[in-house]
Amino acid sequence: MTAGPPTGDVDALRERLRALGYLDARVDRFVLGGAATRGRAVSLAVAASLRIGLLAGVLLGPAAVIGLATRAPGLVTSVTDALVLAAYLTVPFGIASALLACVAILTAGWLARQSASDPAFAARARRAAIAAGLFVAAACLVYLTLWWRAAVPPGAWGAQLLALAVAASIAILIGHVVTISVLAYLVRLGLSGLPMGSPLSSLRVVVPLGVMALGGAMVLLRALAPQADPVVQTAPLTVVPTGVRVVVVAVDGVDVTTLTRLRSGGNLPTFDRLLGGSTAPLAVSIDRDPAQVWTTLATGQPVERHGIRALEGRQLAGVEGRVGAGSRLTTATDLLRLTRPTIASGDDRRVPTFWEVAATAGLRTAVVHWWATWPATEASLATVLSDRAILRLEQGGALAGEMAPAGVYEPLRQSAASRTARVDARVAGVADGLAPDIAAIVDRSARLDATVLDLATDAALGGQDLLTMYLPGLDIAQHALFPESPAESLAPAAAAERVRALDGYYAFLDRVIGATVLRDAPPSLVTMLVTQPGRVAVGPATASGSVLALAGPIAATGHVETMALSAEALAPTVLRVLGVPVAADLAATAADALVTPAFMQAFPVRPVATYGERRTRPAASTGQPLDREMIERMRSLGYVR
Amino acid sequence: MSSLPGFFQTYQPPIARALEAFVPASPGGPVVDAMRYTLLAPSKRVRAVLVLLSAELCGSSSRAMPAACAVEAIHASSLILDDLPSMDNAPLRRGRASAHIEFGEAVAILAAFGLLNDAYGHLARAYEPALAARITALYADAVGLDGLVAGQAEDVLATDQGLTFDTLERIHRRKTGVLFSAAATAGALSAGGSADDIVALTAYAKNLGLAFQIVDDLLDVTGTPEETGKAVKSDARKTTFVSFSGVDGARELALELCRTATSALAPFGRRATHLAALADFVAQRRL
Repeated sequence: MTAGPPTGDVDALRERLRALGYLDARVDRFVLGGAATRGRAVSLAVAASLRIGLLAGVLLGPAAVIGLATRAPGLVTSVTDALVLAAYLTVPFGIASALLACVAILTAGWLARQSASDPAFAARARRAAIAAGLFVAAACLVYLTLWWRAAVPPGAWGAQLLALAVAASIAILIGHVVTISVLAYLVRLGLSGLPMGSPLSSLRVVVPLGVMALGGAMVLLRALAPQADPVVQTAPLTVVPTGVRVVVVAVDGVDVTTLTRLRSGGNLPTFDRLLGGSTAPLAVSIDRDPAQVWTTLATGQPVERHGIRALEGRQLAGVEGRVGAGSRLTTATDLLRLTRPTIASGDDRRVPTFWEVAATAGLRTAVVHWWATWPATEASLATVLSDRAILRLEQGGALAGEMAPAGVYEPLRQSAASRTARVDARVAGVADGLAPDIAAIVDRSARLDATVLDLATDAALGGQDLLTMYLPGLDIAQHALFPESPAESLAPAAAAERVRALDGYYAFLDRVIGATVLRDAPPSLVTMLVTQPGRVAVGPATASGSVLALAGPIAATGHVETMALSAEALAPTVLRVLGVPVAADLAATAADALVTPAFMQAFPVRPVATYGERRTRPAASTGQPLDREMIERMRSLGYVR
Repeated sequence: MSSLPGFFQTYQPPIARALEAFVPASPGGPVVDAMRYTLLAPSKRVRAVLVLLSAELCGSSSRAMPAACAVEAIHASSLILDDLPSMDNAPLRRGRASAHIEFGEAVAILAAFGLLNDAYGHLARAYEPALAARITALYADAVGLDGLVAGQAEDVLATDQGLTFDTLERIHRRKTGVLFSAAATAGALSAGGSADDIVALTAYAKNLGLAFQIVDDLLDVTGTPEETGKAVKSDARKTTFVSFSGVDGARELALELCRTATSALAPFGRRATHLAALADFVAQRRL
């Protein structure tokens, strides 16, 4: 008898036969199938590489989706999204894998041929084939480990082991097909005497190799894993009532110099009132993207934390989720209809806003028309008329997340006619004496602001401890009147008329704010005015700054802060005034200097570790989202191209 | 006992007629008689049927008969050489005396060369040059230094010697599997089969060929001369699959190989029923 498996050890024989290409070798047949009738060795290498690419693409594409879904929140919103993305990713991964495999096959073949006349050629050729397979397998394993590093939560040992076991299996399979392709390539070159089969076909090799791969991947994962944040419990927020109600009026497009000039004429009593308490400059962000800037203001977190990077995003064809926009690549993909523009969504936001925090703490809060508030979710507990609410009220139809709770929709819809009448009355005269094109711009902007303010004071919203609204009209008018840097390209007379139109708009705003949210305001009402210079004021040369002003009984009247506050200071300041504990992980502290020392003493800061992540339970939705209408509206207002 | 699948009766008569024409009785003579004696002896014609079935799967078997006859001729020549006193020294083949017993050793050797020579000539005359070259090269490889010749040499030299499992597999592959694969590939080529068709058929034939040889080993241990048509226990001095796995293990492996062969036909769907039946027959055969 002989060396070899002992008599009767059928399992060992079966294993050996498998290693010699018998029994089940479907993957091998698939990979080498395309090369069966091709004449030249290089053709075989290319054909086998293409099939390896297809195999790897199909395996690595879905794996990449898992990592991508974690790294780009909001991109994958459903199983369909994941499948479509996997189909997309199959192509680049397939191409990359095919190229890698082709290089590995040709290189290993070249190295093996160098020793074709050597007596030890067969062993060397086999080693070269195995080395090529292991090289590709290692590349796949490292890649998958790095992707899944982001996808698998630290400390979840079971999930890590499962993910890495899958990674190791994929890597070994791809390594195996590269090895057999190298051997087939050498045979096609006419080199004989090669041993049969790939060692990666044998469980005796695969199992220890798989264990080693798994161990190596675990080490890699642990070594490169981001430091897990200490587990911070989100404690229940306890409000210490401060006895004040807060109204936050956010006005976009305010030029502080113009505002100061107009106030000196004594014609802006409401702004005088809003700015009559304490004020502080806010740090001006060079990035004027309104969705990003106003979300930073609302959350007290920088863009890296809150996740709203740009007003305009891109939606991949067939995928509900979004990715960022702005590159030449997306311009090309738009043309090819692979992507289409989309507006920043609340689904992309990862942290709560100050009105959501206050609502979670038990206060009654409402927000109107703030950026990236669609889809409104009832989980936030706040009353939210999102940035699509006005559009929904105009278009009618069933809600698709435009406002929450859903119960506010019907009364607001029923009061649409009376609201239109009030808006008509409030904008009357705002465009008198202006050229028709300028008048149209001003009128449209004014109607939008008047509608926001009217909604903010609608009885359907009920009484609120915190009422927040965003007024875009001035920015829209300014952007339309001075699309480039102010006045440079206009004739002096035309520029003067446009400046006059904007001056008139400040007066309109003053009047309409006074007639709505500040009308019959109780003495306990605290107002907070926050302004941004808007899209026109790009660059430091024309930046005229932002303002945070606090007025009311707790304001340190007359205090003017000289040091600019960061934009992230608004959220903690609002919450501080309302008696809500302030999270230590916010990017800024409350602007204590704006409130009186007595208030400070009576209500010392009560920190909590964090407000946690945003809760994103989907809003009750029965209607069709107004995606296309929103894009058209944003385009007509000059926000997107 | 397992009998031949019914479809064999459809293919065997035309193959028999074609083989008759392959080596005509005229002008006659001892070498021709010896060639015909071996080539036309009662046989299942598994290899020839494999050529025709593979061609049918890939489109049509209308042009496959020359390749089928050639593979049978090559196989017959290998049997003559295999039975020689200097090789296996087998007295019986296909239920009759071996060629060298019937015609003498010298004539038998010449008959083997005659059959081999005619096989290549037949291919060259039957097909257009490109296809003839491909099939001829295919058969030449199957016979040559990585095929029958190498397998037979290793087999002969290994008699009374211990073999490793890998060596035994290599001998079987070269002596049986390679010609099975060549038959399937030749059939596919004659019908213009695609690369994927050829790969699937090659996988089928490779697994089937080894299974065929394992069953041969089994029959040598468990069969009778009446059943097998050749002397049994002739491999007693040789290492066979049965040596490694025992009778039951060898039967188990043969079954698995046949199942794998059948699964390799999946791309062809129901069209591959006959080839699947052939695999079943090999798994169960007693003759």
